[in-house]
Amino acid sequence: MSFRDSAEHRLAWLLCAPAVIAMLLVTAYPMLYSLWLSLFRYDLRFPDERQFVGLHNYITVLSAPTWWQSLFNTALITVGSVAVELVLGFIIALVMHRALVGRRTVRTAVLVPYGIITVVAAMSWRFAFDPTTGFVNGLLGLEGAWLADRWTAFAVIILTEIWKTTPFMALLLLGGLTLVPEDLLRAARVDGANAVQRFFRIVLPLMRPVIMVALLFRTLDAFRIFDTVFVLTRGAQGTEPVSVIGYNTLITRLNLGLGSAVSVLIFLCVLAIAALYIKGFGIDLSRREDD
Amino acid sequence: MSKKTLLNSLLSGVLVALLCGCSDRGSDVPRLNWYVYAERSGAFAEAARRCSDGAGGRYEISLAPLPADADQQREQLVRRLAAGDEDIDLIGMDVIWTAEFGEAGWVLPWHGASAGEARAGRLASAVESVTYEGQLWAIPFTTNTQLLWYRTDRVPSPPATWDQMIDMAEALGEVGTIQAQGERYEGLTVFFVSLLASAGGAVLEADGQRVSLEAGPTASALAVMRRLANSPAADPSLANAREDQARLAFESGASSFMLNYTYVWPSAWANAPEVARHMGWARWPAVFEDSPSRVTLGGINLGIGAHSRHPAFAFEAAACIASEENQRLAATRGGLPPTIAALYDDDAVRETFPFADVLRDTLRDAVQRPQTPLYADVSLAITRTLHPMRAVDPEADAARLRTAVERALRSEGLL
Amino acid sequence: MAGTGSAGRMERLFWGVGSAIVVLYALIPVAWLLSLSLKPGADLGDRRFVPQAVSLEHYVAVFDDPQFPAALWNSAGIAGISTVAAVLLGMFAAYAIVRLQFPGRNLMLAAALSVAMFPPVSIIGPLFNLWRTLGLYDTWAGLILPYMTFTLPLAIWTLAAFFREIPWDLERAARVDGATPLQAFVHVIVPLAAPGVFTAAILVFMFAWNDFLFAISLTSTSDARTVPAAIAFFTGSSLFELPTGAIAAASVVVTVPVIIVVLLFQRRIVAGLTAGAVKG
Repeated sequence: MSFRDSAEHRLAWLLCAPAVIAMLLVTAYPMLYSLWLSLFRYDLRFPDERQFVGLHNYITVLSAPTWWQSLFNTALITVGSVAVELVLGFIIALVMHRALVGRRTVRTAVLVPYGIITVVAAMSWRFAFDPTTGFVNGLLGLEGAWLADRWTAFAVIILTEIWKTTPFMALLLLGGLTLVPEDLLRAARVDGANAVQRFFRIVLPLMRPVIMVALLFRTLDAFRIFDTVFVLTRGAQGTEPVSVIGYNTLITRLNLGLGSAVSVLIFLCVLAIAALYIKGFGIDLSRREDD
Repeated sequence: MSKKTLLNSLLSGVLVALLCGCSDRGSDVPRLNWYVYAERSGAFAEAARRCSDGAGGRYEISLAPLPADADQQREQLVRRLAAGDEDIDLIGMDVIWTAEFGEAGWVLPWHGASAGEARAGRLASAVESVTYEGQLWAIPFTTNTQLLWYRTDRVPSPPATWDQMIDMAEALGEVGTIQAQGERYEGLTVFFVSLLASAGGAVLEADGQRVSLEAGPTASALAVMRRLANSPAADPSLANAREDQARLAFESGASSFMLNYTYVWPSAWANAPEVARHMGWARWPAVFEDSPSRVTLGGINLGIGAHSRHPAFAFEAAACIASEENQRLAATRGGLPPTIAALYDDDAVRETFPFADVLRDTLRDAVQRPQTPLYADVSLAITRTLHPMRAVDPEADAARLRTAVERALRSEGLL
Repeated sequence: MAGTGSAGRMERLFWGVGSAIVVLYALIPVAWLLSLSLKPGADLGDRRFVPQAVSLEHYVAVFDDPQFPAALWNSAGIAGISTVAAVLLGMFAAYAIVRLQFPGRNLMLAAALSVAMFPPVSIIGPLFNLWRTLGLYDTWAGLILPYMTFTLPLAIWTLAAFFREIPWDLERAARVDGATPLQAFVHVIVPLAAPGVFTAAILVFMFAWNDFLFAISLTSTSDARTVPAAIAFFTGSSLFELPTGAIAAASVVVTVPVIIVVLLFQRRIVAGLTAGAVKG
């Protein structure tokens, strides 16, 4: 290793060190502690009856139909909201990018939903969909209770998620759009490419890294959805996602061992999804520009 | 006043304020922190002030707010009590936490003379709510329970049983809706336990260790639930309704019956006087003609944090806050029913609660929710099995419920 | 960019209408929230979108509550510091990942990602205990650290994705043209990095501003309690009554700083490359 190389390594580690230290300090202990706890039978109300049970908690969780049901629910909500958000996010990003009149207003207005506290947004949507006191039924002239039936409840949940977090996608995609050089597009237009061709042949490929980051993080967040579902249905009507199971076990039932096992399993699921994305997109963020 | 003088007085004012601040911080008067939700009318704050004044400088009570939602309150308290937080002296405890907090050693038991104080003049059901394993774990402060509210202009006389009420509601057509709480939360457990007790059954045996859920009463209770939820008189969003949704729907005028707590009375007069004018009250409907209904008890008890630095003062402060004077204040100003029986004959209280007699009778017959440290698990098991009410099958679900509660008592498996 | 004649007009109209639709879609529920906050208590149950009578009682109630102004101050400070810290640390790390060769580069990215993947509900308990031991419970630092930590993965990945697309040769080219390293950096690299940096900043700020879970678990007094947590303490006139009006009013108030931050930052998210800048 040459002297220049090791100097580069040192600089790199120096630059990364603060971030690494911050992340380790805050999350290393809790994550490892959770992992440790998941191997015990530990109820906070009976602290003296703690005992080591190995993988028993994991077996309990994996053999519970509730777990698999909620995994399905979570997958449904995740796929439903992320798919729509990607398309909608692109549309909104394009509008934000191209809007000339009131560009400031459009961009700011679009980001406001993401800036509202999740619990409050969920509450206001719940209120809006209430059959007797909300405005949705009043506007559409319907009488049904949206949140009382499984599939309409899913629709409301996904709608609330989409409304709230599309701005996240849109913002990242907007940033990605700014990376596409105008001249390239102009040249392509001169060459006779129409808007659709320009979009799919030039814009999308150049935006791949940003799209991947947006999809990845949005999926990770969608998988761990909690507040929205809790406020809208409390997880009833078969809409319970895995994080509500975790909450019920860890906080309501104070069963720390089982709850930690649930959390670790959620983590593993999310890890699998992330691995799929990274492999699938084949993007290596650490590849240098001139490689 | 010249500018210079003004500046000077301003500066000296600031200095004095700073010094006063400093001296307060260094004051030796022990401060007892009372952790309770931010009661809006100020009755709790006033009670704390009165008791601090009456302490003669030995201690002062300061209110530390908790979140409004009972589950969030419990989450905060449990986390801190389990960590041995010494700042928690007095706790505004929900009645369902007694067994859990007592078993885990998070609150101190009331012995001897203090136990006597805790019992003094109080309703039997309130005392029962602070008792676990023969010990008292808190002093009853306020209580709460549900009544039947109905529209006097549409219903000539209140129904005595559930079947009668549902029949009446169905006969009234569009406006005959019954408001109740059917969401998958604690309110559903309250509903079920009340129905079960009215039918003569109980969730747990007297020892609190084994499941009771006798076949007969359980089936009757579940049958009522099914009938209500599937009746045309039920609110379409019953499966998602809490106390406040029920109140709002009743106040909008579209309903004729409501099962709810006493807070709806002042609320109706404030928000919907045309409805309040025709609002009547009665005891909760019974399940069977000949046995009076039994409704679950709610309320706030005062417990002492196990790691408090001044337990002796804390017991004294709690007894003062829960005394008759302050209960009267909580009732008249805060609308919180008292636990001291004599107050139900008090003029001021009777003015706030015109339904004081019905309330007292209901409280006399009140039933406790299962008193076990694993109450959170049991409640979760009940709500998960019985929600949504319209899908309840009295035969099959009685068996499922029994299994679920048994597993909950062993804290077994995912719920 | 606008073409000439009717094609350009059509295009402008198209984007104009699109903008209007998008703005409506984004703001209708916010308008609903605003409407809820302006309705007097008795009208909360009516089905109307526009309030019949306008009342400021909820805003008055919210600001009367001594907790709320303190919470606003806490929120502003904590979110601001977290944003600056996360973006700075993220920039350093992202620069290293994109520009430098070092072992453990991929490990760094992977580790950053796993931090963001663990369910927060499990982190709360141990973190609470850790903070109590370290004396960070109920302090600004006690919230800034988790906020920074949980947004660093997003910041690092976002910044890395943007930095990867910057033609770093431009800096070299500018130096060849006679600029000092600092000039080259400030005038060439910074404008190109700005969109990424401000995108990351907005996202971090919103996370810190609106977080509820950590705020409610790691604070106990108005020393450090932020607005989302403070809202959980609002009670109606009884324990069962949801103070919808007050919550709506508080939410509207707490959204205003977000709007200001976005207004300020969004200007920077524009195309950085112009004609003639790319050589060869």
